[in-house]
Amino acid sequence: MTAVPTNRFDALSEWSDRHFKWLLVAPAVLLILALSVYPLLFSVWVLFVNYDFTVPGHAFVGFRNFTRVLADPVARWSLWVTVLLSTINVTLEFLLGLALALAMVRNFRGRGLIMSILIIPLFISPVIVGQAWALLLQRPFGPTNYVLSQILGYEVTIGWLTQAPWNFIALVLADVWQWTPFMFVILLAGLTAIPPNLYEAAELDGVDGWRAFWWITLPQLAPMILLAITFRILDAVRLFDTIFVMTGGGPGTNTYSSSFYLYTLGFTQFHLSEATAGAWIFLLLTAILITFLVRRLLRAEPT
Amino acid sequence: MNNREKRDFEAGLNAELDAWLRGENTRRSFIKKFGLMTGLLATSGGILSPWTENALAQAAVDLADPSTPLGKAQAAAMKASTEGPADGSAYRAVQAAKQYSGVTINMTYETGLQALDPRNFSGPVWEQLTGIKSNVVELTNPDQYSKAVAEHIAGSGAYDVLDISPAWTPSMADGGVIAPLDDYIAKYMNQADLDDVHPLYKALPTYKGKIWGFFDDGDMFALYYRKDIFEDAKLKEAYQAKFSKALEPPKTWEEYAQIAQFITDNLAPNVYGAGHFRKAGSPGNQFDFLQQFRANGGVLFGDDMKAGLSSDAGMKTLTNMLAANAASIPGNNELDAVSLWAAFLQGKVAMIYSWPPTGRMAANYSQSAKAINFVPQSTIAGKVGYAVVPGNPEHATGYNKALSADSRNADAAYLFMQWVTSPPVSLARVMLPYALRDPYRLSHFKSELYGDLFPSAKEYLINLNNSANVGLLDIIMPGAQDYFLSLDRMCTSVWAGTDPKAALETAAAEWDQTTERLGVDQQKAYYEDFKKLPGSSADHTVEKMGLAVKL
Repeated sequence: MTAVPTNRFDALSEWSDRHFKWLLVAPAVLLILALSVYPLLFSVWVLFVNYDFTVPGHAFVGFRNFTRVLADPVARWSLWVTVLLSTINVTLEFLLGLALALAMVRNFRGRGLIMSILIIPLFISPVIVGQAWALLLQRPFGPTNYVLSQILGYEVTIGWLTQAPWNFIALVLADVWQWTPFMFVILLAGLTAIPPNLYEAAELDGVDGWRAFWWITLPQLAPMILLAITFRILDAVRLFDTIFVMTGGGPGTNTYSSSFYLYTLGFTQFHLSEATAGAWIFLLLTAILITFLVRRLLRAEPT
Repeated sequence: MNNREKRDFEAGLNAELDAWLRGENTRRSFIKKFGLMTGLLATSGGILSPWTENALAQAAVDLADPSTPLGKAQAAAMKASTEGPADGSAYRAVQAAKQYSGVTINMTYETGLQALDPRNFSGPVWEQLTGIKSNVVELTNPDQYSKAVAEHIAGSGAYDVLDISPAWTPSMADGGVIAPLDDYIAKYMNQADLDDVHPLYKALPTYKGKIWGFFDDGDMFALYYRKDIFEDAKLKEAYQAKFSKALEPPKTWEEYAQIAQFITDNLAPNVYGAGHFRKAGSPGNQFDFLQQFRANGGVLFGDDMKAGLSSDAGMKTLTNMLAANAASIPGNNELDAVSLWAAFLQGKVAMIYSWPPTGRMAANYSQSAKAINFVPQSTIAGKVGYAVVPGNPEHATGYNKALSADSRNADAAYLFMQWVTSPPVSLARVMLPYALRDPYRLSHFKSELYGDLFPSAKEYLINLNNSANVGLLDIIMPGAQDYFLSLDRMCTSVWAGTDPKAALETAAAEWDQTTERLGVDQQKAYYEDFKKLPGSSADHTVEKMGLAVKL
């Protein structure tokens, strides 16, 4: 049976059938071009010109935007804060997530309910998490210092949001509370995938629990650990929401993360070129880290 | 088409034919139905949209009980808009705007409570009067600048009326973002209405000899204090005995800290002497520093445009602010403006200085609106006194209404601006319980209707006027955001323990960098213009210039 176009409508139908696949793909391609490729190319142009809402015109400035960011002590400090908070957050989340996963890997009464409760923080917006922790920790209305005072028997007057190191501890608390369930879910999936016969063989050989964990669980779980850590680091280095809500970057620039610094530079001070240069530098540093992690991830095989 | 493609095509066509014979959906019918549905949606949107928009606009008009002062003010605004006087700016704006019936003007407003005025009152009323629709675009405060500039660069014509901080006027005027209003004013306005604005605010939209907007929000800081505490006989006696002077609202910042500490020492933990919004990113730090620094004789920039922060005045200011912090409610450094209001309204704090809504909330007037019921009910209504902040109070930000240079409905947009800021309409707006727009016209300060809004409203208005007489303006020049940010960082780092002198030097260095980035000569020219404004320094206030308004 051969389709012979008899009128314009049929010809259009035939054309649409022949190119249907392209029609389906076209919206996605256009969206990617409009929302990713064009802004990316535009940002390259912005890097080398003056694109600053406080200075009219778009004069070519060479590498000045980069040198200004590199010379800014606040930029360097914010990078250090990002590294520090990311490392502490991801380490704590991994350890707690692993402990929870090990505790929850066996079936017991109420396991489903507890798991549901444990993963609730994952579904809450980071802004809401930040606001909730700010309300808990804020003085004079937050209950934290009051509760601590009652427990400890003397007046606790910690400035959780305004005094170092308490402000860092507050940020870590909020992040760990929200993202430990992420580690937990991935690691639990990894644990349940370990063949039970490995543990049975080890038991027959008289291997104790600790050795079984060290020589069976960890190697078998290694790819999932690497995956979970890679995903969390990708997210953790972008830390912004909780800082914005809880500390506002303060006191001074004490809790500026790189994302918060770039936001302030771009959208409070309106130095968009410098913010773009900073974003590219940050992207480069992140890309090096992620490339390293992804390579390890691709190489990782359970032994 | 090669053989394989031909085979695939025929197989597909046969499958479609079979499906069609079975009455099932085929790929083609799916596409047709999808197209039909999309077309229907687009068509129905076109038909339904005006109807629903109109219905919503009508439903949104939020008018007060006509027997209340607000209801009377709203009725007076309607009457002035529809019946005149014929030379009134409100009437002339409405009459001229009717020819633009059906157009939509897009206006930026700060997100949240600020936007309720055009959504619930002025926007719908304007539509009823003229047929001109309004589309309120809610933006955060920084975005009110950045989005306006970005849209101008893009040439989108997205906005018609811009709500901008007066500090942004020079940048936006020079950048071509906003248009001068002089020709429109000459054509449409009763220019006597310009003289009705308090002298502190009158010049704010003026730049390089042209008028770039209408001032629309008198954000004057004032001192709000607990009269019952200041009039307590035992406390008065104890204060007299300790300091050999009467307990009364402070006149200097040293007195302020001293009284705050005295009240805290005597009444805490029930009541603390003072509270401030000191949270990082909360604008309280920059405003407070600027008002105290200048009241202490500080000079923002020297003749060489080097920052004057690191000076005796700077040290004195930070020392006083630290003393006030120490005398304040626990958690003082973590409070934002709303938390501070909550503490004051709950009776935990004896003195605060803040924006004018403080007075309306303390009297429980604001809380009569559902929109603002997140603010606690005042437990101190009737107990609050008003005073001028020691030295010179800050006019903290404020708003100008400006005309977007890219507006495609410039006349309609201008006429809305003229109408909404006209004396009768602006009075009704600053009286809205949920409004964050505050009195700024002489007719507002003298209004009998406003004076009847709550028991002490007359004293409140007088105090706002007196505060404006000695008030100071925020820095109005390019880079203001950078200068402010440096002050906020400086203050919050000092609250956390940084040495004040080192913090002042860091902030001064940041100011110098900003000045150099923008060009020293250019900034100097802007600063010289700023210095000419009444309220630019403690030696150049409305009162010092002999322009004080007496009520």
